[in-house]
Amino acid sequence: MAREQSAVRVAVDVGGTFTDIVVMTSDGILHESKVSTTPDDPSRGVVDGLAALLAELGIATSNVAEVLHGTTVGSNTILQRAGARTGLITTRGFRDVLEIGRIRMPDMFDLTWDKPKPLVPRRHRLEVTERIAADGTIIHPLSEADVIAAAEQLIADGIETIALCFLNSYRNAAHEKQAEALLNSRFPDLPVTASYAVLPEMKEYERTSTTVVNAYLLTAMRGYLRKLEHRLDEVGIAAPILVMTSNGGMLAARAARELPVMVVASGPAGGVIGAARLGAARGDKDIIVFDMGGTTAKAVIIEDGRPSMTSEYEFRDGMSTSSRFIKAGGYMLKVPAIDIAEVGAGGGSLAGIDAGGLLKVGPESAGAAPGPACYGLGNSRPTVTDANVVLGILNPSALAGGRLVIDRKLAERAIKEHVATPLGLSVEDAAHGIRAVANAAMARAIRAVTVERGRDPRDLALMAFGGNGGIHSVDVARQLGVRTIIIPPLAGVFSAVGMLAADVEHTALVTVMRPLGDLTLQDLSGIMERLRAEVADRLSADGYGADRTELVWQAELRHEGQATELPVPFSAGGDIIAEITRDFVAEYLKTYGYNDQTPLELVKVKITGRGLRESRLDFKEMKIDQRSSAARAGHRVVSFARGAPAVETPIVTRAAIGAAERAGPLIVEEFDATIVVPPQASIRRDGMGNLIVKLEGST
Amino acid sequence: MNVDPITFAVIKSGLDSIADDMAYTVVRIARSEIVKDVMDFSAALCAADGQMVAQAKTIAQHLGAIPEAMDSVLAKYGDDLHDGDVVIMNDPYHGGMHLPDIFMFVPLFYEGKRRAFAVVICHHTDVGGRVPGSNASDSTEIYQEGLRIPPLKLYDRGKLNETLEALIKINVRVPDRVWGDLSAQFAAAQVGKRGLIKLLQRYGSGEVEAYMQELLDYAERLTKAEIRQWPKGTYRFTDHIDNDGFSEKPIPINVAITVRDDGTLLVDYTGSSPQVKGALNSTLSFTHSLTYLSVRCVLGRDVPNNVGVFRCIDVKAPEASVLNPVMPAPCAARALTGYRVFDTMLGALAQIVPDRVPAAGEGGNSVICISGLRANRKPFIIVDMICGAWGGRPDKDGLEAVTNASQNLSNMPVEVMEAEHPVRVEEYSFVPDSCGAGRWRGGIGVRRSYRILAPEALLQMRTDRVLFRPYGLAGGGPGGPSRNAMVRDGETRSLPGKITMNVEQDTVIIHDQAGGGGFGDPFTRDVSLILEDIRDGKITPDYAREQHGVVLTLDGALDQPASDSLRRVKSSASRVGAAHGA
Repeated sequence: MAREQSAVRVAVDVGGTFTDIVVMTSDGILHESKVSTTPDDPSRGVVDGLAALLAELGIATSNVAEVLHGTTVGSNTILQRAGARTGLITTRGFRDVLEIGRIRMPDMFDLTWDKPKPLVPRRHRLEVTERIAADGTIIHPLSEADVIAAAEQLIADGIETIALCFLNSYRNAAHEKQAEALLNSRFPDLPVTASYAVLPEMKEYERTSTTVVNAYLLTAMRGYLRKLEHRLDEVGIAAPILVMTSNGGMLAARAARELPVMVVASGPAGGVIGAARLGAARGDKDIIVFDMGGTTAKAVIIEDGRPSMTSEYEFRDGMSTSSRFIKAGGYMLKVPAIDIAEVGAGGGSLAGIDAGGLLKVGPESAGAAPGPACYGLGNSRPTVTDANVVLGILNPSALAGGRLVIDRKLAERAIKEHVATPLGLSVEDAAHGIRAVANAAMARAIRAVTVERGRDPRDLALMAFGGNGGIHSVDVARQLGVRTIIIPPLAGVFSAVGMLAADVEHTALVTVMRPLGDLTLQDLSGIMERLRAEVADRLSADGYGADRTELVWQAELRHEGQATELPVPFSAGGDIIAEITRDFVAEYLKTYGYNDQTPLELVKVKITGRGLRESRLDFKEMKIDQRSSAARAGHRVVSFARGAPAVETPIVTRAAIGAAERAGPLIVEEFDATIVVPPQASIRRDGMGNLIVKLEGST
Repeated sequence: MNVDPITFAVIKSGLDSIADDMAYTVVRIARSEIVKDVMDFSAALCAADGQMVAQAKTIAQHLGAIPEAMDSVLAKYGDDLHDGDVVIMNDPYHGGMHLPDIFMFVPLFYEGKRRAFAVVICHHTDVGGRVPGSNASDSTEIYQEGLRIPPLKLYDRGKLNETLEALIKINVRVPDRVWGDLSAQFAAAQVGKRGLIKLLQRYGSGEVEAYMQELLDYAERLTKAEIRQWPKGTYRFTDHIDNDGFSEKPIPINVAITVRDDGTLLVDYTGSSPQVKGALNSTLSFTHSLTYLSVRCVLGRDVPNNVGVFRCIDVKAPEASVLNPVMPAPCAARALTGYRVFDTMLGALAQIVPDRVPAAGEGGNSVICISGLRANRKPFIIVDMICGAWGGRPDKDGLEAVTNASQNLSNMPVEVMEAEHPVRVEEYSFVPDSCGAGRWRGGIGVRRSYRILAPEALLQMRTDRVLFRPYGLAGGGPGGPSRNAMVRDGETRSLPGKITMNVEQDTVIIHDQAGGGGFGDPFTRDVSLILEDIRDGKITPDYAREQHGVVLTLDGALDQPASDSLRRVKSSASRVGAAHGA
């Protein structure tokens, strides 16, 4: 073994408000830290926080073997429209493909709908002469003069990055490659994303949109990862960085730099993977995941142990969801992703009164700096956290294990000035109002992945984490009729914990698009050999030799003439064609209720190679070095519900909760999270250290 | 009944999501582009008594036709419907719309009793008749339009009706596609059945059935409550279809909407054109459907679209009119008439709820059908549908490159069309200056052009708004007109809106769709928006000067003094003109 005995693994999740850090030492113990995110340069918070934690643990930085990273750089860049000024170069006659899109509307009968503005306005979409036919034949050669002229015009207009997408390039990428090489040689500092390298698949809008999103994110992601590497290097950490992808795998930073589109939804993925693994270890196969941080709340459904996935999704303001067959109203990303509903409600979400006199909470956030009013760092507007402080739900003097001193009076003043006085309410009632509005928004995200797909949330348990998950989960659960809440250990940094349970993943695919009947076993093994070599190369570049990889094969088939495929996993070896035919026919019958007699077509062969990380976290064996909270065991007065009298409530640590149920009211304070157990609820601890909250009032 | 709010919400969304799952199934396994890419199909669930309770986010125009189609199925079969039965129907004179739209009804049984119907409608690429695509606007009787199917069982207790299968396959030009798309409809119904059974198991049959009825009553209550707020009276509007392709005669659509005290509407189409020679005749079921959905578009967003809404709207359309034809009037191109019903209804509704209604959009998707034989003698049929632009709205611009709001169509990807058919698309882009001017402009129209690669082909175009442009509202101008042209050996020739003709290899066919009408006085439009549009090449400086009185300097910046004075002159001239013109 090349790695030292004392090697440690590090997982860092950067949120909009806090940066969560977990270090797993070689003895399998998890150590946590939570520091403020540094929005001007998030890598600073990451590295300073990590270095501090390592120093505290007495671990040399050179012992870090791996840095796992979840980042919101991608999603924040799109949300804030802060991406690079992007130009798009297309085949002549097709510059509007990006804006035309797929035409449909997300809701019928809505004459007030607004189609989102394209990431590249028409003035920055230019056309060049070239044409390739559907069979790959060149009809018109590429005009290099056009490409140069377009690039010069775009650069003169202040464009920082270029996306290239030519018609039928999925069939023949020669012109895209030629234009890319030309641009790279003429304008070496201008980043170029060509569609063949991002999504070599048919359908020009989907490919163009995905390519444009990649180009749009390129400079932000490159800049960020470069800084992170540099800062890590400065403190003596030379370990490889792996970035969490939108679908819950890990991707080497070197690849993420070129394909930021794969990691747009990186942030929440770690927690979901962790929740699925933890649920499986507990024997819970169907769970609602509820992750509430400082800036947003996310909901995902896990069914039969697997997070709900999507092969394409649309990124939109308000709430992002998978597109299925809707295809409207967002920026289309045709990349595999966990199917997440996300709303702009978190601890830092700002509350205020809108022009119509309505109380609003979020999506605007006070972020980490200046943060909630109670931080005393210059923000005077109230946030959800301020409401929780005023009501006694949160510790009124310090958060994050005492590292963050807060001032309850500032929270009170902010709520009074901006909400209570304008609405003619008491500060306490106004604080309850802020909580109620935020809770309703979060329940909407959960509804989007349950009720709106016909799944009854009352049949499921809610797994709550994130810094604020334990504070709001009971109220959200009550709105939805959920009766059981699971709060994992290290709930406040659980997204980072989850990354330790994920695999390094590389996928490669070949579009075959041939009748299965025409294909010989020899053809297929030729295709598979190429794929195997490609994935093996990429895994070995990440340090995983053949002995530490696992390969999963999948064929995607359909009946001739259909638009979409059904995936069929298969094992390498034996009569593969017979195996996939048999499995496809069975799966087709199961899915669609009939057997189709028309011939089969093999559309794609796909391989997923997993690097088996030496010490992937196993939740059954999880060991924790829990930091103590700021609170000493004691009591404080907490107002749980509007109109009900505030009650003297015991404040305890997780260690004080045992296997026996303990009735609320009760508040568990931990270093990284606070867990609220109101009256009419009870709490106990399971064998793995999870806290289980049961709600009364329903059976 | 005692309504539990969470159960109600779950069952309501549960039914909607079953319908969406059905729709998703159709997309996944259909064979023809018009279904899998353009998404000209729809899916719905009806209660055991046939009342529609839930629908997928698919073609709005189909949905209001389901009640009458269902009536004809129930009239024929009554209780003779069993587990495993599948009924199909496409005949306009049996509650259908036009022959390419084949309805499929599948009764869903659970614990021995019929609990619901799954309904799936697909626009089929071809159902035979005199022209490929079965969609020509120049047929003169229904017998030319293809195979008519009255309600018939395609499956009887799970057993395939081989006679019907053989009859369908021999009568259509692309039997594999038609049968493949029928399979998609069948599979969607199976998926619907599975979802419904899950719901019934979870909540119990009685409970689900009671909530289905509650959903209808709920929609009716919401609709009536809203209509009661509207100003009472009768509101009239007229719009036109250019002509039917046979004569130059415009085809008027006339409506009078009466808002009644009890929260219901009377929609009367008296005065609309008699039925026409060409295939633009809209069946009564389709006229109903367009009427319902037009009203639905101005109701609050939360009102479910089901029979409860329909109950609040009475429709009158004179017999033997273009909105209620009698046998054997042809109906294939009836969608265009439906679009004009929608435009006409919105024109009248704009007088009732002026803050909710946009100016006219492009006037409905254009249909370009190109068919023929490939070099290897195998037939091909492309049915392409082009969308679309909305009119300017009371508080914002109209959308561009968007489905007509009475549909929810998608577009056929160029790469899919080229991979499957012998054509090459040469352009798919916006047409500058095609927007109706206004304080809020209409969306600009799109252009699509095709080079024919087959040795020869039959071209059919069903386009409109060449002569009667999309109207503006509140002082806004009309949208730019639609145009058709062909280019052959470097020579360009213009084509009429409706045509069936043979074209040779290498001919390029160009279609420009109309833009949306404008809303409000164009001379009050924010100058910065005008400058943005110029920078994006959506309008030209000439258009800005002509329509908005905005003048640019030679280097493209705003010429403020020249603009101020031109706007003053033009705006007072237009006021005088308006006073005289009215």
